[in-house]
Amino acid sequence: MLALLALPVLAGQQQLKGRVAVVLDVGGRGDLSFNDMGFKGTDEAARDFGLEMIEVQNATAADYLPNLRNLARTGQYDLIICVGFLLGDALSQAAEEFPNQKFAIIDSVVDAPNVMSIVFRENEMSALIGALAAMAAAYHGYPAAGMVLGIEIPVLYHFEAGFRFGMDWGLKKYAEVTGETPDVKLLYTYTGTFSDIAAGKAATEAMLAQGAVGVYNVAGPLGIGDLEAISEYHENAGTEFGPPYYFGVDANQDWMGGGKHGLASGMKRVDIGCYTAVKSVVEGTFKGGVISLGLAEGGVGISKVQDLVDFIQFGIDGGSITCDDFYPIMANWARNRATLPCWIWQAVDELEAGILDGSISVPTANTVEEMQAIRAEYTLGAP
Amino acid sequence: MTEVGPGRRFRLLRGAHRTLTGLSPAFESVLAGLVGLLVGAAIMYIWGYDPWRAYFALLRGAYGGSYEWASSVARGVPLVFTALTFSICLRAGMFNIGAEGQLYIGAVAAVTVAMFKLPSGLHLVVGLVFAALAGAFWSLGPAILKLTRGVHEVISTIMFNWIARFLVFYMVAYVLVDPHQAQRTIAIPPTARFPVLIRGTDLSYSVFLAVTFALFVYFLLWHTATGYEVRAAGFNPTAARYGGINIKRTVLLSFLLGGVGAGLAGASVVMGLPPTYAIISGLPQLMNVGFDGMAVAMVGRNHPIGILLAALFFGGLNAGGRVMQFYGANPVPLEMVRVVMGAIVLAMAIPELARMLPATLRALQGLKRLFERRPHVQEGAK
Repeated sequence: MLALLALPVLAGQQQLKGRVAVVLDVGGRGDLSFNDMGFKGTDEAARDFGLEMIEVQNATAADYLPNLRNLARTGQYDLIICVGFLLGDALSQAAEEFPNQKFAIIDSVVDAPNVMSIVFRENEMSALIGALAAMAAAYHGYPAAGMVLGIEIPVLYHFEAGFRFGMDWGLKKYAEVTGETPDVKLLYTYTGTFSDIAAGKAATEAMLAQGAVGVYNVAGPLGIGDLEAISEYHENAGTEFGPPYYFGVDANQDWMGGGKHGLASGMKRVDIGCYTAVKSVVEGTFKGGVISLGLAEGGVGISKVQDLVDFIQFGIDGGSITCDDFYPIMANWARNRATLPCWIWQAVDELEAGILDGSISVPTANTVEEMQAIRAEYTLGAP
Repeated sequence: MTEVGPGRRFRLLRGAHRTLTGLSPAFESVLAGLVGLLVGAAIMYIWGYDPWRAYFALLRGAYGGSYEWASSVARGVPLVFTALTFSICLRAGMFNIGAEGQLYIGAVAAVTVAMFKLPSGLHLVVGLVFAALAGAFWSLGPAILKLTRGVHEVISTIMFNWIARFLVFYMVAYVLVDPHQAQRTIAIPPTARFPVLIRGTDLSYSVFLAVTFALFVYFLLWHTATGYEVRAAGFNPTAARYGGINIKRTVLLSFLLGGVGAGLAGASVVMGLPPTYAIISGLPQLMNVGFDGMAVAMVGRNHPIGILLAALFFGGLNAGGRVMQFYGANPVPLEMVRVVMGAIVLAMAIPELARMLPATLRALQGLKRLFERRPHVQEGAK
């Protein structure tokens, strides 16, 4: 045994141009969402630019700072990417201690000259989901559309503001096309958690009871509970497709639950954020400050056919679904999408085009006051 | 002069025997550690990682320089406290696995000092007192249940751990939440933090508190009459009671002292580990510190001095383990690092686990009797 151990396998290393490290949130790999996408984006960039990439996971939140310090101390990494806003505290300290080390962080703003803070304009993709939800509700004669949110933090205000604007736009569009004036309310709940799946289920059940055409998940894993409530609703009603729908978030979650209820997802492309950061270092354009990624940069978007194909593949690679699931999911998803007429999908595309060419600007909110102003402007049935 | 009497020869033999038995725990630990390292190496080799490089990274990351030493010590500090919680109660004849819950409660109590202002230093002391009292308070429940209703401490401390967990979840999310950063509680102000001992590391003055507490426990258990009573009660409760020792008193005392230890562990995490100085929602920094303490206690042979050394070793594994992730051409992923750590810890705990076998069996028998009691009552009722 010892003789075997004494022969370290020295792999022939090809000459690599640099090194990047990606530091993940405590959730770690395997979430098929945030962390996995951070890994995927960095990995792709490393391969495209011929860099060596290492991945660092954290067993607990107390490991964030030591891991960043250990990486920075080596002085060997051209860029250290932190995936997730929980790493913000640790990074602001590490960035100060190692002013010559380049860092990037996803979803949080760290004010230091050596940190590139990558944030997303979630309001843009949420507007598309809001418009779709409102038009779906009006089309099927449902009185409401729902939104289950996590902890009330500024990032989630982006989602709520965009969704409100989108619903308003969708209802106006519906009136313009059909000549009817639908009355669709917004139901929304801040559950106060990003981890309690049961809270997502309970909130969704309450919304479905009030006639919600679907629920937009803005609380990561709570979506599992949201989808469970929706699936049970369909079972009890004896329906297979159609409303109520599930609207996914961050990753393309349309394939979840066999693709039967996921109508569309508001995607936040963490992978593109990581790719952008690595690219900027390779091209020498890296600088500290905030980089905002929206529809125009491909940083956010509403799920399309190709996204679904990519993400099912992602799920198969991750081992959560098998290759045999591919066509059944695609078929279910197509049947579910077919419960809405083509003109509604075209209207969503029209809104997207409007945002892209700048003719439509989606409001956003970063503070309670700004959020209240938007709530007052787009009341959507709430007092 | 050269003549050695039979009595003297006997004494010499006895001395040699003592020396050998005195040495054996250290020897045993080293041997167990080597076995653990070997098993870990085998696991890594089988999965295609290079064990030599990985262990080199581990050693360098744990004890390779002053920064690494400081990190290892800093990681060991909370474990000293929770290990003592377990050991004090084990010495008193009880299986207290409630350190985890008492630690949560202690941490929350420490965070509450962020709600008022006090001068530097005094603020820290108040926080420590809060945490210690809160930890002791939380251990009071299982202690009272045991003393008055005969509820087995294994069951009650497990229950209390869960109650503490959800209570603290609630406190973090609704009561102590930072309105600007809802993912965590309000942060403890600098006036109530342990100052950092070495700049640029996690090591703070909390290490002195841990060492002091360990020495205090050692002095109390081995050099006072009360400590003697506690140990006697743990060694043989029947004989101790016959000898006039108040068992109820020793049970209560060891539970409370253990609670103080666990409470201080919570404080040492939230007041002594940069950069957050707050409890993050989901308690990721506190989770398992109490249970890891049990492993530290076993490797440290349930002795305060042994625990200090074992905590340094565990801190090293923690600090060095993370370095295994980014060292060499084929870095070891965190999941594999944890498997290897598990193998090492298990191997090191085996000697003490074997020694604790009688106590373990007693605890299991107590549990068995507890479950057997129910049908008897039902039969009596019929």
